[in-house]
Amino acid sequence: MSRIGVFVCHCGENIARTVDVESVCGAARDLPGVAHVSDYPFMCSSPGQKLVKQAIRTHNLTGVVVAACSPHMHETTFRGAVAEGGLNPFLCEIANIREQCSWVHTDPAEATAKASEIVEQMVAKVRFDTELQPIEVPVTRRALVVGGGIAGIRSALDIAKAGYSVTLVEREPSLGGNMARLSETFPTLDCSQCILTPLMVEVSHHPNIELLTYSEVEGISGYVGNFNVRIRRKARFVLEDCTGCDDCARACPVATPNDFDMGLSWRKAVYIPFPQAVPAIYTLDTGACVNAELESANGRYRVLACERCSLACAPGVIDYDMRPEILEREVGVVVLATGYKLWDASQAPEYGYGRYPDVVNGLEFERLLSASGPTFGELRRPSDGKVPKSVVFIQCVGSRDPEHGVAYCSRTCCMYTAKHALLYKHKVPDGKAYVFYIDIRAAGKGYEEFINRVMMEDEVLYLRGRVGRVVREGDRMVVYGADTLSGQSVQIDAEMVVLATAMVPAAEESFGRMVRASTDQYGFFQEIHPKLRPVETMTAGVLLAGAAQGPKDIPDTVAQASAAASKALEILAQPVFEREPTVARVNESVCIGCLDCQRVCPYGAIDVVDVTARGTTPAKAVARVNEAMCEGCGICTSVCRSRAIDIAGFDDEQVFAQITAVANPSMPVTEALAARGGAR
Amino acid sequence: MSKVAPAGSGYQTAGEWAPRIVAFTCNWCSYSGADMAGTARLTYPANVRIVRMLCSGRMDPLFALKAFEEGADGVLVSGCHPGDCHYVQGNLYARRRLEIFADLMELLGLDPRRLHFAWVSASEGVKWSELIGRVTRSVLEAGPNGEWLSAPTAEFSSAKLPEPGPPPRTAPTRDANAATTSHLRQLARRLLEEGEVSRVIGYAEGAQSDQMVPAFVETPEDAERLVWNERCYANLANYAVHRSGGATALIAKTCDAKSIAGLLRENQLRRDEVVVVGVSCSGIWHGDRLAAKCYGCDEDVSPLADWTVGPDGTARGSIPAAGRDTSPDPRDAALEALSSLPPDERLAFWQGEFDRCIRCYACRAVCPMCYCDTCITDKHRPQWISAPQSGPGNTSWNVVRAMHLAGRCSDCDECARVCPSGIRLDLINRSLAQGIKRKYGTMVSADPAVKTALTTYRPDDAGRFV
Repeated sequence: MSRIGVFVCHCGENIARTVDVESVCGAARDLPGVAHVSDYPFMCSSPGQKLVKQAIRTHNLTGVVVAACSPHMHETTFRGAVAEGGLNPFLCEIANIREQCSWVHTDPAEATAKASEIVEQMVAKVRFDTELQPIEVPVTRRALVVGGGIAGIRSALDIAKAGYSVTLVEREPSLGGNMARLSETFPTLDCSQCILTPLMVEVSHHPNIELLTYSEVEGISGYVGNFNVRIRRKARFVLEDCTGCDDCARACPVATPNDFDMGLSWRKAVYIPFPQAVPAIYTLDTGACVNAELESANGRYRVLACERCSLACAPGVIDYDMRPEILEREVGVVVLATGYKLWDASQAPEYGYGRYPDVVNGLEFERLLSASGPTFGELRRPSDGKVPKSVVFIQCVGSRDPEHGVAYCSRTCCMYTAKHALLYKHKVPDGKAYVFYIDIRAAGKGYEEFINRVMMEDEVLYLRGRVGRVVREGDRMVVYGADTLSGQSVQIDAEMVVLATAMVPAAEESFGRMVRASTDQYGFFQEIHPKLRPVETMTAGVLLAGAAQGPKDIPDTVAQASAAASKALEILAQPVFEREPTVARVNESVCIGCLDCQRVCPYGAIDVVDVTARGTTPAKAVARVNEAMCEGCGICTSVCRSRAIDIAGFDDEQVFAQITAVANPSMPVTEALAARGGAR
Repeated sequence: MSKVAPAGSGYQTAGEWAPRIVAFTCNWCSYSGADMAGTARLTYPANVRIVRMLCSGRMDPLFALKAFEEGADGVLVSGCHPGDCHYVQGNLYARRRLEIFADLMELLGLDPRRLHFAWVSASEGVKWSELIGRVTRSVLEAGPNGEWLSAPTAEFSSAKLPEPGPPPRTAPTRDANAATTSHLRQLARRLLEEGEVSRVIGYAEGAQSDQMVPAFVETPEDAERLVWNERCYANLANYAVHRSGGATALIAKTCDAKSIAGLLRENQLRRDEVVVVGVSCSGIWHGDRLAAKCYGCDEDVSPLADWTVGPDGTARGSIPAAGRDTSPDPRDAALEALSSLPPDERLAFWQGEFDRCIRCYACRAVCPMCYCDTCITDKHRPQWISAPQSGPGNTSWNVVRAMHLAGRCSDCDECARVCPSGIRLDLINRSLAQGIKRKYGTMVSADPAVKTALTTYRPDDAGRFV
């Protein structure tokens, strides 16, 4: 038998001005199951809460309804008081008679009647409340960071410095990502490597960070606090004792395009991507090496036609028999920092990218400007090594172009194009720089000033309009474009053309599916809420950092990486992670296993298990909710035809009780009012 | 019973009837929006009571039905604007489900002024207060919800629905049937002999002439019992569920194959335990009438078919339909006639239909897609559908059945055929399917991998939400 306590708050005059609290209390006394009713001017105050706590003990209450302000205001307060009074906090319901009653109605009779009915509704609900315990999820106190660019480096360092272990996985032989390729960074013109490499070194030396380069994440299973990760460590054929002396590379007879330099230079089959690479361990590129790997009945073996690198290696760390390894790690959180790549500009054939060697994309131009690049910082064009005397920069190649490329703005191109033009003018002071743009988006600290400086001081000619086509004539190119400000078509002779191509996600779509992070239509990872939860994915414990979530410049990337680290620490900082118990539960004896719930669950929180409920043979497959992942939205319940699945705290019986109460109330107040002579 | 509140109820001016409206809101946007109206001290009529849920995606349309059944005069559902859902997609699922529910309510003659859907964000206190004003006026205009869900008060006039015209084709000849039967027997014998299946479910002669009954054939010799003709109504998919001990070969018309696809999709059958034997069917006949579902049947023999059997022989895989037909479905003419009636006459029509329901649940038993162990009708904590065979319970049952099959019904029409009271369940199913097709472009698919209309959404789905 329910013994419910009803506590009506006056909220000073806020409720009592329009609602006759005495009548509401009187009506509540007559409700079935109500054992105690009291009122107080400020129920949320310390004496008010004490009233609730005492009444729970004195009257041996089994449920509490507090008629006061919105549950969004004080539900937590009163649940706390109820818990201190010795009842389960989920046996407390709030009747919202302020925001949704006394504040929106002026007629006292109407407001009083409505308040009484709201109390009746919540009394009806609380009778079906059950004791709920917070869900406790044990946490493995280690993080996985996927991607060793600036985003992954920053996240890993933040987590490691807070005292937790981190496994950082990078698929390339070195940390650094795209940022390592950049020459200088806007708007301060810091040398990119100068600010990045100290962080790379810090990662490699940090005792809490396990650095796995040339490795890829192959599989993730589990859930928040308890992920199992399979990592494939590719064979680099060079042991970790490598001293980085470069003797092997000098001995190697094979040259192959250097992908770190975007193919603009050559490297050997045994190589280090760039001099400051971390770790400074060489890698043997089996795709380029003359020693073919073959397969036979006895397994894979290598035909050694050339051993020059091994012979040249004084420490003897070249190991042709190295095999890829599979490592398994248990982690509590995962940070995805898989970064971006550039859209393939050859999909816009009018610009000639891929056909004309002197039409390059932004990252290629970065390498040409970089002191560590193929031209050692002297700007020379790829085709003939000539210093270009005129360069046309074209913005929005692929970006903001839903017809041919992507609809979004890549956010960084306006700024890096301005930087490119500036660096070009500094290197070739008598050269001419033209920029075609749609409009300039320079929203960032010091960005607008930077653009103005480039336009004014460095005399870069900005032309507002699009380029129709680029045509080669002899050893130069003619750029046909429109200048929409003067309304004229323009032709510019260019010795080089630089395309500011769109940023697209670097991670494969299948990777997103594997880590259960949903992606948007372009393949960027989808955050759970664009404003309020920008670094969390739909899968609890999987976090986002950097351009994997959307195009970003370095400051934004670093800020988001630190945000992801702080969200990671929120989980890692506690041995047991507590979650609200208002989650879905399956009645396995009723569940028939159609799995429509699984189809609609936004969180992937529903698994399939075989059970032998009530001795059914063979075992039947049923849905099971992973309470660590469920957010309690209840979409699953509304598709469940047999109602095998329900939401604790908002279950069908509680909803039904409320519907019955509000659609067909007992209306005791009516009688009370009638006895006093109708509406007052 | 009309809801006329006694004088001084406080709802409106004393002595007047005042509407009762149940609002279902999500916790994050709309409930906060209602709070916001209070914080801004906006005023609105006091007729709405809010039932708070975490997400509008939790909103089962049957909650609205329950509210009407309990005497509410109006229902409002409000959630976050598309794109703002706290749970990302909940409101988008809700939009589809409630849209189809509203279509059904409209078909059944519920005054559309009683049912409202809205998006209200946490900052839209003004919108909330205006919305409540608008909804209250609308329900006030509709008047007391006296007749809805109660037994018919007056002799309902059977609205004369148009009779189907002459069938667009003739019944298959005896020779064609005999040839198909013979090929079918051969195939069944071979499948059983080679041990590929341990039973064949097909049709055999029943006790009455012209009545074909389901036959379970388990030995090669027994295959001689199998027959095929235009009287093979039954959807045999129903019999394949939960069979153990070897694979089942199932003889399936195109419409039946969609049920098989549905059962595969919903994990009630495994692909490796069923061999689909498609028959190239040229229509099912009831007496001298072609079944309504066959008029517009223009689909290939199911792509699911492992074998296809026809008068010309047996082929591996599926084959294109022999004679495609796009003659208008006579049910569409009936639905059009119904929809041209004013709501109260539609209501009277359906009340007359549901009044005949004896709650035998033959419709449930014959439906391959009604496979739950525990039906919602049998639940009593809470009780979704009241037990007595009258009024509200009858309507609720038929609404629940229709909603549970919306987007899943394969249009085999078996429910309407077996109904001993002749309730026009076929019209309800057809109407929902047509609405889903019109709005979302999807039909029940013969491909088990395709999600049903109500377990998916598009961000730009149309709907009644304002």
